[in-house]
Amino acid sequence: MSAVSYSGTAAKKGVGRNADTALGVLLVSPIFITMAALVFYPMTRTMWDSLHRINPMQAGTPFVGLDNYTRMLSDAQLGSTWMNTLIYVVLAVVAETVFGVLAASLINQIRVGRQWVLAAVILPWALPGVVNSVIWLWIYQPGAGLLNGILTFLGLPFENHVWFNDRTSAIIAVTVVHVWRMMPLTIVIVLAAMQSIPAHLYEAARIDGATRPQMFALVTLPLVRSAIAVSMTNATVNAFNLFDEAWVLGGSSLETRPILVQIYLETFQNLRFSYGMALSVVITFVSLLISLVYVLRVYRNTRFD
Amino acid sequence: MKTSLHHRVMIWTGIAVLLVWSLGPIYWTVASSVTPTDDFSVRPIHFFPQHFTFAHYSRLLGINVDRIGGVEVWRQFRLALLNSVITSAAATLLCVAVSALGAYAFTRMRFPGRDVLFGLVVATLAVPAYAVLIPLYQIMIKMHLVDTYVGVALIYVSAYLPLSLWLLRSVFEALPLALEEAAQLDGAGRLYILFKIVLPLAGPGLTAAAILTFLGAWGQYLVPLIFSPQATKPLTVLIPEFVTKNFIDYGLITASGSIAIVIPALVVIFLNRYLVSGLLAGSVK
Repeated sequence: MSAVSYSGTAAKKGVGRNADTALGVLLVSPIFITMAALVFYPMTRTMWDSLHRINPMQAGTPFVGLDNYTRMLSDAQLGSTWMNTLIYVVLAVVAETVFGVLAASLINQIRVGRQWVLAAVILPWALPGVVNSVIWLWIYQPGAGLLNGILTFLGLPFENHVWFNDRTSAIIAVTVVHVWRMMPLTIVIVLAAMQSIPAHLYEAARIDGATRPQMFALVTLPLVRSAIAVSMTNATVNAFNLFDEAWVLGGSSLETRPILVQIYLETFQNLRFSYGMALSVVITFVSLLISLVYVLRVYRNTRFD
Repeated sequence: MKTSLHHRVMIWTGIAVLLVWSLGPIYWTVASSVTPTDDFSVRPIHFFPQHFTFAHYSRLLGINVDRIGGVEVWRQFRLALLNSVITSAAATLLCVAVSALGAYAFTRMRFPGRDVLFGLVVATLAVPAYAVLIPLYQIMIKMHLVDTYVGVALIYVSAYLPLSLWLLRSVFEALPLALEEAAQLDGAGRLYILFKIVLPLAGPGLTAAAILTFLGAWGQYLVPLIFSPQATKPLTVLIPEFVTKNFIDYGLITASGSIAIVIPALVVIFLNRYLVSGLLAGSVK
């Protein structure tokens, strides 16, 4: 033991800082190599290649400037996929926030079995997105699905109703699956904020004669506001990245096709690599911009408080 | 706080609705997976299976093969299950190991470029996967790593490393420095401190990082759709293939879905505490 400790101190006295520096560099080098090769280089490459024409079916990769970007402006298909994505984002963020906050405040009220309820609520998030999608594909199935089964059971005329025949109901059906999967995230974040509210605030409000709805509006909501903003950022980014649900439920149907499916089709089916990359660059920036707006708002809100 | 009976009934009604919403679709999948195909379109609908069968599972797993009616899927299914386990487990081990070593260096050591590198790596949390997908595909083709375990696992590591690193650095930062200083005074070296003191104390954090990486890799679809088309095809890519244009085999879909659910469900049931703490640490970027 003393020998070990002696050599340890000697090493520290001898090379000291340099040894630490070398070891530090050594310890982070796997991260550096992985990220450089698989993220940083491909990212730069995406931006650079989006300025060229790259198509495995065509010879050469000439520099085309911003052609890939200007082409987006006259791409009618792209326009409707942007529209779809926008609808998904708005519907999903609103639904996840409203129902998520409601669900979090419900769970916050119970003491018995709270962990079990929370586990049950988180489960949909933990499942693979594709599995969620096929689960709901089966529920939406016209002839034998659960949804039509329940509606018919209630005496409504929904026998053999096809939910994906009409754009509005198809979009809502895809959104429902996405909300089912992502709402747990909102619940977890908002619930944690609710649990950190000190009990004496509610006590004080009660002594002042506040009713339950008043307590919710005047004590709970203001104190979980930044948590709600964080969860809305997550919800927005996740809805932007919607792919699995739309691909499994709607396939390549233009009516439900979000922007990510469009990128996938342009790239890996039409083999327009550089156009796909230009699209990726644009949607990355839009997604970053939206996150930034939320983050700045949260920052300002928390500073004002 | 005093709660009236009326209020309690309302709360528990709400909780019941929430539970039906969360678990109902999963229950329905498992129930359908043990229902004979002939019973699927029986109306009025039965919410509990009227007849019980393991036929869908035996078709998937290749037990009692002579009962198979249609195509033979069990070879594919077994391979896909194995592939999912191998790639997710390999990615998880590698990702947590690499990020634990790095997170310790980022927290406690000084070296040039430390903060810049950390900032760059964590910033990629905000960069969506498709921003790198196409060049990555070209790189993987050049290196002959398409449709290999190594290729897919490495992509998962690069995808989940930033979150894991972020999480573990905050865990290490919260550990008492005095403990490490005492060990250092006793002559322990950096690596001894890391492996014998820091890592054992960071158990919950390591678990959280491992869970998030594993569930993420287990559920990936777009990445393996492109990078694991054949030999390393995972469950998530195989299951939607049961949906073909002319015919959808809901028996196979619900049974394979139920099998794909097992591991995430076990994680949520037994490790939910770590999962929640990981989600919270990850969400407050």
